[in-house]
Amino acid sequence: MDKKENIFRKLARWLVRWIFGLKYEEKWFGVKALDKPAEIKFKNGVPDDSELIVSPGRQIFNRFMERKFAVFSVLVVLVMFCVVFIAPHFMTKYYDAFTETTQKDLPPTLDFMNVPGELAGNVKMIDSYSSFSVGLSNEGKVYVWGIGTIGATGIDVKQIPEEVKNAKIAYVAAGQDHIIAIGEDGKFYGWGNNRFGQYSVDETILANPNLEPVPDVVLNGQLDVSHIKRVTCGYQATAILMDDGTLYIWGNKQAYANMDRFIGKTNIVDVDFTLNYVVGLDEKQTGVYTGVKGLHTKAKSQIGGTKTDKMADFLNGRKINEVRATSTSVCILLDDGTIGFTGDFQSDYVEVPTLAEGERFIDIEAGTYHFSALSNLGHVYSFGGDHYRQAEAPKVNGAAKLFAGAFQSYAVDGSGKLLDKWGLSGYIFGTDDRGANIAERVVAGGRITMTVGAVAVIIEIIIGVSIGLAAGFAGGWVDIFLMRVAEVFSSIPLIPFMLILSSLLAQVSMTTDQRLYMVMVILGVLGWPGFAHITRAQVLVAREAEYVTAAQAMGVKPSRIAFKHILPNIVSVILVNMTLSFAASMQTETSLSFLGFGVNYPQPSWGNMLSRASNAVAALNFWWQWVFTSAILILTTVCINTIGDTLRDVMDPKSSNDK
Amino acid sequence: MARYIAKRLVYMILVFFLLTFLLFMIYQLMPANRAYTEARTEIQSLKKLSADEKETKFDELYLKYRRRYGTDTDNKVVLYLRWLGLYPISSARYQVVRDLDACLSFVTQVGGFPVDVKQSEDLSPKLTLHNEEELRAFLESPEYLASRELLATEKESSIRMKNLYILEEHNSAPVFAGIFQGEFGFSFDYNLPVVQVVPVHMRNSFLIGLITEIAVLAVTIPLGIKCAVKKGSRFDRFTQFFTLIGFSTPSFIIYIVFIVFFCSILGWFPVMGMKTPGTNYTGLRNALDVLHHVALPTICLTFGSLAGITRITRASMIDALNLDCIRTARAKGLSEKVVIYSHAWRNALVPMVSIIVGGFFGTISGAIILESMFGFKGMGLLFYNATRNADYDMLMFLQVIYTFLGLFSNLVIDLCYGIVDPRVRISK
Repeated sequence: MDKKENIFRKLARWLVRWIFGLKYEEKWFGVKALDKPAEIKFKNGVPDDSELIVSPGRQIFNRFMERKFAVFSVLVVLVMFCVVFIAPHFMTKYYDAFTETTQKDLPPTLDFMNVPGELAGNVKMIDSYSSFSVGLSNEGKVYVWGIGTIGATGIDVKQIPEEVKNAKIAYVAAGQDHIIAIGEDGKFYGWGNNRFGQYSVDETILANPNLEPVPDVVLNGQLDVSHIKRVTCGYQATAILMDDGTLYIWGNKQAYANMDRFIGKTNIVDVDFTLNYVVGLDEKQTGVYTGVKGLHTKAKSQIGGTKTDKMADFLNGRKINEVRATSTSVCILLDDGTIGFTGDFQSDYVEVPTLAEGERFIDIEAGTYHFSALSNLGHVYSFGGDHYRQAEAPKVNGAAKLFAGAFQSYAVDGSGKLLDKWGLSGYIFGTDDRGANIAERVVAGGRITMTVGAVAVIIEIIIGVSIGLAAGFAGGWVDIFLMRVAEVFSSIPLIPFMLILSSLLAQVSMTTDQRLYMVMVILGVLGWPGFAHITRAQVLVAREAEYVTAAQAMGVKPSRIAFKHILPNIVSVILVNMTLSFAASMQTETSLSFLGFGVNYPQPSWGNMLSRASNAVAALNFWWQWVFTSAILILTTVCINTIGDTLRDVMDPKSSNDK
Repeated sequence: MARYIAKRLVYMILVFFLLTFLLFMIYQLMPANRAYTEARTEIQSLKKLSADEKETKFDELYLKYRRRYGTDTDNKVVLYLRWLGLYPISSARYQVVRDLDACLSFVTQVGGFPVDVKQSEDLSPKLTLHNEEELRAFLESPEYLASRELLATEKESSIRMKNLYILEEHNSAPVFAGIFQGEFGFSFDYNLPVVQVVPVHMRNSFLIGLITEIAVLAVTIPLGIKCAVKKGSRFDRFTQFFTLIGFSTPSFIIYIVFIVFFCSILGWFPVMGMKTPGTNYTGLRNALDVLHHVALPTICLTFGSLAGITRITRASMIDALNLDCIRTARAKGLSEKVVIYSHAWRNALVPMVSIIVGGFFGTISGAIILESMFGFKGMGLLFYNATRNADYDMLMFLQVIYTFLGLFSNLVIDLCYGIVDPRVRISK
């Protein structure tokens, strides 16, 4: 052999021989596996063939391993078990009742931070508010990435209008469902959802008192682009701030109760949007201007802790330079390079880091729940809400500009090269109608579904096998009585009974865990007759065997005979039925949860995750919400059923080696 | 054979009583108290009463409704027997004991003495009054006065009920109103007596089930036989794979796929309902409209059942083909067709009987998931809605039907074993 017969080659040969067969092993490795003559071992002068006799267990194992599909199924089931029972420990930020309405019904993607290659070396600005980001290169070209489709409206903001593609753009901003672009010549462009006058005006918009129309100055392209200080968007609203303090603001006033306090103002130094209010900075720079009494008037210097000071005390003579807002909180950048916070924070947050000597903050940007900050030494920091790890900033040197929005942040150096980006990159399986990550819920739901199935089967086996053994071995009236009891239990229809029980117990207050145990117990208690019948049939056959007679003659107690002598001989049948019963229990639990009578929200289960798909329109438009869960469920069940079938075929002495 | 049937029938009746008792006791867990809620609503509609008057009036109303619904006792066994129709409900004329004049007017109304005195929750009278002196004596008696004191202060209505004394007509004829008399209750969901709501739904479930069953058997039996005969061939392996997937998929996923494919993408069939809403077709047009709506549920139900039955057919046919008698038949020189259909299939039929007959009876009880997804007015949807809305009477009635069907189908399956397998027939 010229090639070195090392361990990898041996492994490869073994794999190929196992999967494809001897023929392909010969073809690919040029080895005839049978060219060694079989050695005959001698013992005491006689051929020793004791090695050819294998125990039944070993025989079953060998025959099982010959069936590739069954071995593959075992692997799949093992992987599934590992994933659903181990992975939750890694999902540190997952909890059952998580809701995030801004992220609901998003299709599967990992593109949220997928900055186009052309833009990455040449970034002028990046902005985002919800599920898509818009970027502007130094040459004035606009790029959009992320999820551009707006719900079920059919609008896609990734379809940039021709005129925008052909023009040189100076500013871009992204809102919840629209994008604003301002050309270098002052021309105003907008695209996306326009039902609330986000970027153009018509009679219906003008007639609606809840909408503030786009100012004529902006629409007619009369903006002085060189004096624009800031362009930012909120939920169906937009604000353009000029250097001289003039503010142009328009959009859906139902989303922003205090927009009227900003319309027509000419003394605004900074502006941003929280979830329900517009916040800004007037020329006095001594407080967050909202126009609403008592809003954002108390500040603190750290996110944690509840002690806040009145704004004047907190500032102590300093002035506010910048105001940036998340959904619920506002961060103020003071003239000495320190920051303060007003508003509320989520409980899962990253605290503001203490800066080194001589390092100060020079810029703050805000996303939906987090802030990112740029320091004068070119480092970037993130703090605030951290559910999507958007507040875990990498170490960066030489950052000159910082952009943040939604759940992502981007750091760019002086020449426009994208240095780093961090935050939420997307969802593998998309999100459901509450905004939760479906992949996480599938893993957590798998744990619950599999646990319920497993425990139900265990209960069934314990009750059914005991009763079957007793009935089969004792015989007589005990047998008849127990079989009648089994018949009573088996004539209770499962789903109607579960429905009734669930609706009754819904009126009794139960914790979610207790409810789960109840489901397991009911499934087990209604399913044991099957095992009882099988065990009893096997016991009736095994009872006639001679070893039982011998044991009885020796005076072994009947219960001991039943458990120690007969049971090991019938355990193979029980094993086969156990796997099939496990699959059936999982299916029943899934069906019950789908109907709403098993595991309820917030606990996930593969069944109740599919309940939204019963609506035909939702099933088509939001296909990812049921396709992935169904596929995983079907795969698991198919594999378990295959294992059960193969075990049954393999343990049957009557079937020969044909496949 | 007749003895066997008789024995099974007796056993069936026993189990029926046992199961209904069990279910009835479970229903008693429901904290819904219809008499109470009805009394409350009626009391709220009477506004011109003072607080005290309201209390006494509430007692009377509550008692009235409790007697009407037969829940004027806490004894669960009596409640169960009343529901069955084996124990009389309180149908005698009565009046709450308040003062002497009211009692006397009641006595004249009833036609004179004797009258019974009992507390409102008792099943039998405490004592019988034969004349006016006894009545006066009773009104002075310490128990009655103690109860009056209690009523004056007690706020808890269940305790008040226990201490309320009433005069009742003596020896009125017992009235039974339960299952055995045909009183199945009133569905407040549909605002009709239960017996008027159920037959239509049962007919629908039965029709769709019959068509499905016939279609399924027509497909799976030949398929199963062919797979068993050609065991190991590509056709067999192919079918095995597909039935494995079909068997492992929960039924509602199959329905979702079909709905998305046929309704959303192709648009051939409508999803929900039995008729196009807002139209009033008659005759042939109506029939075609209904057919158009019912087609997709039927197709879905058929596809959902194919996989499982094919597997069982194949498995039992393989077992049958491995019997020694088949080898003998082939050795005798019989044609393969005769061997398969006449000899092997007869043996394979024995385990299949329970599936076929059970499936047939199962269709009458309706497929809950299918009917709730398609809005198909069958027994399953009735059951599902009754569970969701806690429609007590309807639920009990449906439960009775299901229990009865289950037991009856067991009996029929055992008899069919006898028909199909001569060995069973002889040994019985």
